[in-house]
Amino acid sequence: MLTSDTEFIRESDNPDKPKILLSVKACSKSFPGVKAFNKVDFDLYAGEIHCVVGENGAGKSTFIKMLSGALRPDEGVMIIGGREYTFLTPALAHQLGIQTIYQEISLAPELSVAENIFMGQYPVNRLGLLDYSTLKKESKVLLENLKIDLDVEVLVGELSIPEKQSVQIAKAMAMEAKIFILDEPTASYSSSEINHLLDLVREVAAKGVGVIYISHHLEEIFSIHDRITILRDGNKVATHLKNEVTEEQIISEMVGRDLSMFYTREMVEIDYSNSIIFKGFSGGDVKDVSFEIHKGEIVGLAGMVGSGRTDLVRLLFGANQKQSGTVIFEGDEVDISSPSQAIQAGLSLLTEDRQKTGLILEHSVKWNVSVVQLANSKGRLINERLETQSVDDYIHAIDIKTPSIYQEVRFLSGGNQQKVVLAKWLYANSNIIIFDEPTRGIDIGSKEEIYKLMVQLAKDGKYILMVSSDMPELIAMCDRVVVMRQGRIVGEIDRQDLSEEKVLTYSIGGIL
Amino acid sequence: MSENNNNTKKISSWVNKSNRSVYYLLGILIIAVVIMSFLDPNFLTQRNIFNVLNQQSTLGIVTMGVAMAMIAGCIDLTVGNVLACAAGVAAIAISHWGLSDGWVILLACLVGLVAGVFNGIIVTKTKIDSFIATLGLMTVYQGLALIISGGNNIYLQGKFGWFGTYKVGGIVPLPVVYFVVITIVVYFVMRYVKYGRKLYAIGGNPEAAFLAGISLDVHKIIAYSVSGLLAGFTSLIVISRIGQSQPAMGVSYPLESIAAAVIGGVALGGGKGTIPGVFLGVILLGLIRNSLNIMRVPSFYQYVMLGSIIIIAVTLSNIGSIRKSGNPS
Repeated sequence: MLTSDTEFIRESDNPDKPKILLSVKACSKSFPGVKAFNKVDFDLYAGEIHCVVGENGAGKSTFIKMLSGALRPDEGVMIIGGREYTFLTPALAHQLGIQTIYQEISLAPELSVAENIFMGQYPVNRLGLLDYSTLKKESKVLLENLKIDLDVEVLVGELSIPEKQSVQIAKAMAMEAKIFILDEPTASYSSSEINHLLDLVREVAAKGVGVIYISHHLEEIFSIHDRITILRDGNKVATHLKNEVTEEQIISEMVGRDLSMFYTREMVEIDYSNSIIFKGFSGGDVKDVSFEIHKGEIVGLAGMVGSGRTDLVRLLFGANQKQSGTVIFEGDEVDISSPSQAIQAGLSLLTEDRQKTGLILEHSVKWNVSVVQLANSKGRLINERLETQSVDDYIHAIDIKTPSIYQEVRFLSGGNQQKVVLAKWLYANSNIIIFDEPTRGIDIGSKEEIYKLMVQLAKDGKYILMVSSDMPELIAMCDRVVVMRQGRIVGEIDRQDLSEEKVLTYSIGGIL
Repeated sequence: MSENNNNTKKISSWVNKSNRSVYYLLGILIIAVVIMSFLDPNFLTQRNIFNVLNQQSTLGIVTMGVAMAMIAGCIDLTVGNVLACAAGVAAIAISHWGLSDGWVILLACLVGLVAGVFNGIIVTKTKIDSFIATLGLMTVYQGLALIISGGNNIYLQGKFGWFGTYKVGGIVPLPVVYFVVITIVVYFVMRYVKYGRKLYAIGGNPEAAFLAGISLDVHKIIAYSVSGLLAGFTSLIVISRIGQSQPAMGVSYPLESIAAAVIGGVALGGGKGTIPGVFLGVILLGLIRNSLNIMRVPSFYQYVMLGSIIIIAVTLSNIGSIRKSGNPS
């Protein structure tokens, strides 16, 4: 049905032509310090499935947010249904028929499938009461049309997540959606569930809806796309037609950063005779993960968002319930099934979201730095003088910029907040330090300081695990990178072989 | 940057955030006292000062426990009815069983402690919001207080009067002594004992506290236990003063203790507040009540005014915390 980009334009004189639903022209969006979306052009035809791929942080979510009215572009226009808009609001997007299907399902669990589908536009009888029989009939027709096999009277709360997603799609169709945006719709789905969903998406497109499909999974994209657009660092790299592009080409277009962006670290002698071994970790979405870190080594943990990296580190730290998994540290097995045991064993976890889970924002630098040491050391009383002295020492050692140790941490910059988190773990004498996205939301200058600190820690003989979505950072910093995908470790790459292509190929399931 | 910064550090340590609200409160208190002493020459007499302190001692002791729970992010609404239960048991022990005063004191404290432990377990294990959980438990204790006393007032027949009315040196009422001593102990715990600091951490950010290796449940249960224990202890002062126990006594305590704590700078969501602040909050609330009495505001109107003041205080504190949580998102 779709042949080439130019053919669309040619065909637009033809009455049977595929109609342009959406046309984004030179849209940009900046956040402090980043150009998240840079003069991107994008269009979507009726009946088309247009896939969007890109690494973490390539600008996919910014794009979705602009289309769903959650973000206002700084410049550029969006032409929808023949009219130009410089920005949308959620209500306007809805009115224009733009429906975003999220995985966190926005349905009422205590209502039936039929009631959910027609929520807000229920048919009524002459008395103004809800007309159940029409409701049921219309829902049935709608579901049959989409080839969804569900009983319309079942409560939504009793459905599985993929079934709920089907209901959500049906609901969007009932609201006469013209443009569908699916963002990572298949995360944690089994392969048969994925196929089901892809069929449904094809069915929806066949009804003339334009679908924007965002995914990390290349097989899915290759099985469903009409066109595919690649984003990188907020820029559009290319748009390809079906069958005109290979996996390798897509991956090479997703990567390809300028080498000058890479930080150059100082290398450290690794002590291979000492190690911490994590063996057979399972629990939640994580399946049978094993790997080791040597003394003085920085090991990277890569993978797309949703690949289970954060779950894994919480599991290692005893913060999530594990089904299995043992830790052998320098030859001895240690039992870790709670954070306090992990801390006793010398582990620390610098969480991904330091404001939500790492810091107590309204407490002082002093209290934040001392809390782990204080909670896990012997004795009942606080030695205030020692506490103040130690906190002061750490502040100087890693150069935290704060007017005083009594400053509330919410007033510090992102980089200094991260250093406070680091200081609290160092004060607690950690040997094995897990950094989850250590430089997210931190300006470039502070990033380098954090990198230097990490190298210094490696020099001091610590064991370091670094989870990151920032590919240049992983490649610059790590002695070795393990890659996760769908809860498993799917690859391990040594420093000399490390490249963006390799990491990405493992993360999105390409063939190496 | 060490030598010349030492002075600044010392100053900022004194005027750090939590202290500051204590100073504000102290300022308000002084202004109120000055105004009142102009309005009524009897206000600043030794007698009236001890009168206010004595009146506030029961609420004050209860509030210390409630404030500890609040700092850990927990609300305890049961204190009033736990107090009534302990009062019933103590009154029966005095009048029916004829236990000696020492045993009576122990027994009332035990009743409060057991109730507190139970509250803590229910709140932490059911994972119900603590406000709702203790609202339910409050009714349970209300029923228990009625069951214990058979629905009747129990008279102490002149016994046990010393506990709540004796004046040390003929001037300082014993309840004021209890109040001050307990305040100092709780202050010490919250400031110099690791347990106290951990409560602040739990209330400030439970997830961060958990990841710092702090066992949330154990600490919260202890906070509730202290709250129950202090309510049990307070029941002794109340029955001693009025010479009887009443199954419906203590109903105003939950609201007033939370209000006093909030006025004293404790955040409703937990994690913040100092014990000196709570102490001043209790005193301020008493001062307002005393002033209304001196100005001969009829008691029905006093309720309306007190309630309004409480709502205003809590709202102001809430606005503060909302503004604070309004981080750039």
